Amino acid sequence: MTSRRFWCRDGATGWALSAPATLAVLCFLIVPIGAVIAGTFMDPRGAFAPYISYFNSGFRTTVLFRTLQISAFTTIISLIFGFMTAYVVSRAPAKLKSLLIVAAVFPLLTGVVVRAFAWLIILGRNGILNQTLLALGIVNEPLEMLYTQGAVIVGMVYLFVPLMVLSLVGVLENIPKDVLQASSSLGASPMATFRQVLLPLAVPGLIVGAVLVFTGSFTAYATPQLLGGERQTVLATLLQQRAMVSFDWVGASTIATIMTAITISIVLAMSHIARRINPMAT
Amino acid sequence: MTQPLDINAVSAHYGTTKVLEHLSLSVRAGELVSLLGASGCGKTTTLRLIAGFLSPTSGSIELGGRDLTRLPTHRRDIGLVFQNYALFPHLSVLDNVAFGLKQRGVAPGERRKRSMAMLERVGLATLADRAPGALSGGQKQRVALARALVIEPPLLMFDEPLSNLDAKLRVDMRVEIRQLQRVNGTTSVYVTHDQEEAFSISDRVAIMNAGRLMQFDRPEVLYRRPANTFVARFVGFENIIPFKVVARGGDAVTAEATGMRLQLSQNDFGAIPDAFLLATRPDGLMVSAEPAAEGLPAQLGLRTYLGRAYQYQCETAAGHLVANGSLTTPLEAGTQVKLVPVPEQCTILAADGGR
Amino acid sequence: MSDRPHPILIAVAALVYLFLMVPLVIVVGAALSDTTYLTFPPQGLSLRWFENIFAISAFRRTIVTSLQIAFLGTMIALLIGIPAAYALNRFRVELPKWLGTLFVLPILVPEIVFGFALLKSLTVGAGVPIFAALLIGHTLIVLPYVVRVISASLASFDFAIEEAAISLGSAPVKTFFTIVLPNVRAGVIAAFILAFITSLNDVSVSLFLTGPGISTLPIQILAHVEQFFDPTVASVSVLLMFLTVAVMAIVERTLGLTFLAK
Repeated sequence: MTSRRFWCRDGATGWALSAPATLAVLCFLIVPIGAVIAGTFMDPRGAFAPYISYFNSGFRTTVLFRTLQISAFTTIISLIFGFMTAYVVSRAPAKLKSLLIVAAVFPLLTGVVVRAFAWLIILGRNGILNQTLLALGIVNEPLEMLYTQGAVIVGMVYLFVPLMVLSLVGVLENIPKDVLQASSSLGASPMATFRQVLLPLAVPGLIVGAVLVFTGSFTAYATPQLLGGERQTVLATLLQQRAMVSFDWVGASTIATIMTAITISIVLAMSHIARRINPMAT
Repeated sequence: MTQPLDINAVSAHYGTTKVLEHLSLSVRAGELVSLLGASGCGKTTTLRLIAGFLSPTSGSIELGGRDLTRLPTHRRDIGLVFQNYALFPHLSVLDNVAFGLKQRGVAPGERRKRSMAMLERVGLATLADRAPGALSGGQKQRVALARALVIEPPLLMFDEPLSNLDAKLRVDMRVEIRQLQRVNGTTSVYVTHDQEEAFSISDRVAIMNAGRLMQFDRPEVLYRRPANTFVARFVGFENIIPFKVVARGGDAVTAEATGMRLQLSQNDFGAIPDAFLLATRPDGLMVSAEPAAEGLPAQLGLRTYLGRAYQYQCETAAGHLVANGSLTTPLEAGTQVKLVPVPEQCTILAADGGR
Repeated sequence: MSDRPHPILIAVAALVYLFLMVPLVIVVGAALSDTTYLTFPPQGLSLRWFENIFAISAFRRTIVTSLQIAFLGTMIALLIGIPAAYALNRFRVELPKWLGTLFVLPILVPEIVFGFALLKSLTVGAGVPIFAALLIGHTLIVLPYVVRVISASLASFDFAIEEAAISLGSAPVKTFFTIVLPNVRAGVIAAFILAFITSLNDVSVSLFLTGPGISTLPIQILAHVEQFFDPTVASVSVLLMFLTVAVMAIVERTLGLTFLAK
């Protein structure tokens, strides 16, 4: 290949350079997942048989409903606390701000297993929380906190609040400062500026953050496995059981397809909405 | 409605940097005053202190006798026009203008009526329902102006409002701003680094440098009689030549510089001290090839064509000077000439530069 | 000044940070405990649970596997991801838009679905050895980070500089290594670190790609927790946190920590 040929801007070089990565995604991601999805529609019992049997099972629909519920709670709680925290972080003086950002990055870089495990120690029957409550005489016998929906939600919020804080700090820092100053120069109190200017401008970012957390908690495995156990089976843990314990490939594939479909449609729908209502885009 | 603004010995220090040092400035009611200077001179800091985005280290700011210094921005009642317009991207043009009225508890119907009237005045009534993102720069600036004016503030401030517009629009807009300001008679503070803009729009101009006020006066005075070498150079007096008085007779003064004598009248310049600096623009220092002319001996350097005259870079015993010469006789580099000051085009400064 | 947040907001933020930090402190405390069950505060300090990690062969083996997979997967992802990121930026006009989206797919698709799909098609379907399947899975889940981080650095790179070098007689391939790569060095380092940590912590993909003799550390921790409730896992966790701190210290030294927030 002569150097002149190498540089003609016909895109061939571009295709060549991106070919290995493209092929890798194609062969090892799209094809395998496509095969999983296609497989569920080629069932000998009929094209939609796996889905009919899925939704006929009271247990499995409960699991789907529970997963959606846990994700929704996690998202709402992370959104509220994440936004308030991000607001404070974005207003902090430079030095403190970078410290706070690091403090949010650190748990994010600590593995999900470690972070779920921490709550196992706290919420267990002989855990720290129970010991404390007993010692203070607030309860007479240890509370059953582990393997409840609350435990899973706490663990998930713990997982996703840092992500929410970091992405919202970015969103808030992108709001031009002079727009907020214009608001107060026109007589808006800090609260009015927050409600009438800052919040509406942050909405697209809030949606993106919410999607991130919702899809993340919708597909999380380790946290519901450790903190929810069998009593709080969610789609991810059900998928793992179907595949690795029951060797029910069709059932597992059906769950996988449902998870993929829900995740991708939420991502697409919300990013579309976020783009539509983004006032800064024009 | 219209009120005077008083800045009393305000200093602003951030860490060890002194952004502003004992600035005192009084803007009369209804007057438009520009703060003029290069970036970092403290003009924007001054504006932000008045707006309440910054707190002064010492000193006070009063508007119509009301002390603003400890008041948060939203209670100061100031109309502010930003460099980047700072329109609310999520609100329509009309809602942008109505924002300040809403904060003041004006009823929706009244809000709409007054905002529309203001949009009418800036010629944008037809765009009331547009999103600000869809407007041109000039239109955005008009919306910003309408938004600041509609609240009828006792003080209006402009932060380099025209610097993002192209040259033609800039001239149109400054006329428009001046007219609106005149009609309302609103006391105004206008920050800019553009000398022509400041001089054309203002009643008085405050020239600032390194956090200090250098001179505060009408544009005509600043242009003709700068008070010190900084202002002199700033307004284009490129040539500054030291002179000594050698003889006095009534109002007539004879002064001498290296290689030349000059007759000046105290009628024109006021009391002339024994040692002073004569400052001229290039068009106040004429090149003469006449060997007998009374002027500063100089050797010509590079010649450039200005259209109305030739301009020469000159080397003299008083240093490097810039002088103009007639179009009829272009002179070559290296020619020995005399540089003759035109007294009407000159001003004199104290020998220490006026500091 | 007037723009300080409301005290209630500050209090909430403080509580959120407390909520983020306390569990990690508790894990460290538990790891140092002298007792055979998990307690906090620790009753007597000891390092015996750290020794225990290395006494259990399953931990020893999985630590090695995890490090191998994380390192190899990251390197392969860099090898195929850097040219892709370069192409996406350099040939922005010539290449279709969906190509950029393609490289983000591995984080768009639920990881657990991806792991299951790999199990079905690679290990079971094509008989690919578990280690290879694990490596492929990890390479793909870190690929989006590599492409995205390096694209971000390249986005601020002025390709006129590259053209200037070529116009001065430098060969294109050589120019890439002498001009382009040094300018996105920070991006490459950040991509490596992000990818390595992501791989090291992965659960959902590895879950399906383990078998007799081969497993990763997080999967081993999960298995251990479900059987024993002793502080060994806390010690492993502390070890992992320690690794994270070390990595962050390197980032801080080379790039400044706020880089990670971007």
